[in-house]
Amino acid sequence: MKGRYEDENLYWIPVLIIFVFLLPFILKGLSFSYKYYLFVLNMAGIYIILNVGLDLLSGFTGLLSLGHAAFLAVGAYSSAILVDQFGVPFALSLILSPLVAGLFGFVIGFPALRISGMYLGLTTMGFGFIVKRMIIAFREWTHGSGGLDVSSPVLFGYTIKTDWNNYFLIYTFVVIAVVAGRRIAKSKIGRAFMAIRDSEQAAEAAGINLAKYKMLAFFISGLFAGFAGVLFAHTSSFISTDHFDILLSIYFIIMILVGGVSSIYGAVLGTLFIVLLDNLFVPLLKDQIHFWFNTQAGDIQSLIFGLIMFLFIIFQPMGLYGMWLKMRIYWKLFPFNPRQRFT
Amino acid sequence: MTDLFLGLTQEIISGIALGSIYALIALGFTMIFKATEVVNFAQGELMMVGAYVNFFFVTTFLSAAGTPTAWTFLVALGGSMIFSVLFGYILDFIINRPLKDEPIFSVIMATLSLAIIIRAVVAIIAGPISLMPFSPFGDSAISFGTIIVSVLDLSIIGSAIGLVIIFYYIFHYTRWGIAMQATSEDPIAAQLMGIPIKRVYALVWIFSAVVATLSGILLAPRIALLDTTMGFLGLKAFPAAVLGGFGSIPGAIVGGVILGVIETVSMGTLSFHFQWIKEINDIIAWIVLIAVLMIKPDGLFGVEKVKKV
Repeated sequence: MKGRYEDENLYWIPVLIIFVFLLPFILKGLSFSYKYYLFVLNMAGIYIILNVGLDLLSGFTGLLSLGHAAFLAVGAYSSAILVDQFGVPFALSLILSPLVAGLFGFVIGFPALRISGMYLGLTTMGFGFIVKRMIIAFREWTHGSGGLDVSSPVLFGYTIKTDWNNYFLIYTFVVIAVVAGRRIAKSKIGRAFMAIRDSEQAAEAAGINLAKYKMLAFFISGLFAGFAGVLFAHTSSFISTDHFDILLSIYFIIMILVGGVSSIYGAVLGTLFIVLLDNLFVPLLKDQIHFWFNTQAGDIQSLIFGLIMFLFIIFQPMGLYGMWLKMRIYWKLFPFNPRQRFT
Repeated sequence: MTDLFLGLTQEIISGIALGSIYALIALGFTMIFKATEVVNFAQGELMMVGAYVNFFFVTTFLSAAGTPTAWTFLVALGGSMIFSVLFGYILDFIINRPLKDEPIFSVIMATLSLAIIIRAVVAIIAGPISLMPFSPFGDSAISFGTIIVSVLDLSIIGSAIGLVIIFYYIFHYTRWGIAMQATSEDPIAAQLMGIPIKRVYALVWIFSAVVATLSGILLAPRIALLDTTMGFLGLKAFPAAVLGGFGSIPGAIVGGVILGVIETVSMGTLSFHFQWIKEINDIIAWIVLIAVLMIKPDGLFGVEKVKKV
């Protein structure tokens, strides 16, 4: 096994996995309102799965997507329709619906072959709007903008209903997604992605099939987002087009930027940071601000998100994971650290 | 048949008015893009801020003076202009200077975050209730034969044409305008020729903020209810700019007008005659965008760029 994993320390990963599965019990012991924390963590878990895929697309391949909530929507709606209206078992839908979202990735990947940078950002943003409108248009299945009630997931005869059970379902897949993301990023595919990001011309000259790998990036990203969508639909038990706003797509990009672009752990850190901030810190702040301003919670939330993203881009473009890496190097070299490098 | 023709003509005129607004917004960020290579996603929010500030001035003067006169609107316009000059100058400091040579990914996200911040700040200050902006023309209309055109639309079209002429003059016949052109062509060479490019950048941002404010003031009475979602309308200027060819100023104007006409006609006559158009008429701008990018990514007036390794 040495060689492939030489560059990183893997001992702490099993410890982390054990911690992830012990966390609900710890929370239950510590806090009376542990159910709310579990609910927040579940949401974070779903977003982590999506952001791992988004990071592979936008961070590693450099194809900016401002419409990723659309893939989440496709996954969620196709699973809701498959399970509730066509009677497909949940376990099968868990495989089929991500594939549908991956196919949508293919569709949006076609224009991506010719354009990049800001144009791609605009195209994906437009794709987000179009998908949202299409969902409303197919109202025989999706009930239009009224939303859709979704059944709870049934796995091996058990119905998974409470936040407690959902936590274990979601975080099993979070662990799988993070490991899969790491493996993709370190494989031949991941290296091809990074080569495309750094220079398309140089990558092509080195024998990388641009069309194939760009489509693959969109497909993989769609798969992850579709997966997150299935879990989102069945654990939140109600979906409507309002859940998949353009702002959500931008928040996903904020999450991976804050965590640190092009690192899977960065995506995880950033997602946890933003979701926990949003659900635990903002409500506290809201009460304070209500003294001075008559305003809605959404405005304060977006103000804080915007400020965080802005400050991170200007002062810490490497994100949280980059900060951690810098700190690690700093302490390794401790007595002899050239100070200028770590400002 | 005549009814259809009449309806179409009226929709096209109203579409040109809407398109002029798109054209002005697109003009604002095309200027910034040409000069500094920064893609400003916050242009719609600049427009919204302009509309809000103008509304604030108008209501302040109205409460002081009583009945609205032409002077009320003119003084309010002057106040908003001064505000927008200051605002553009501040934006140059906080957006342009730190982000000048960053990768496109960071620039897009920085301007998007700026858009989110501006929207949130305006919503917090102005409160959650939508405002009813005053129109200096009321809802009066002029009829040419059987075609009825509202004065507001005419004023929008007229102001847009006037602004474009003024900007054309500034760009081509004044010292600062020529300095701007030189800077967007090649910043380093311009600097070597003695052009103060930092000041030119500041000027470009100020111009763009002024255009955005003017378009906000023009648009506000047309949408009847002023709230922070007005900023999202600025996003539609991107399809307009892409349609005309991104980075080309005539392209931005023509693309804006065409998009405005397409939107209005699809919302009116076409929706009336074809059921399925009704489903897509609020995303038609984005369909146009994707179609243009797939068929002819350089747009109508764009120049194809060759990329070097």
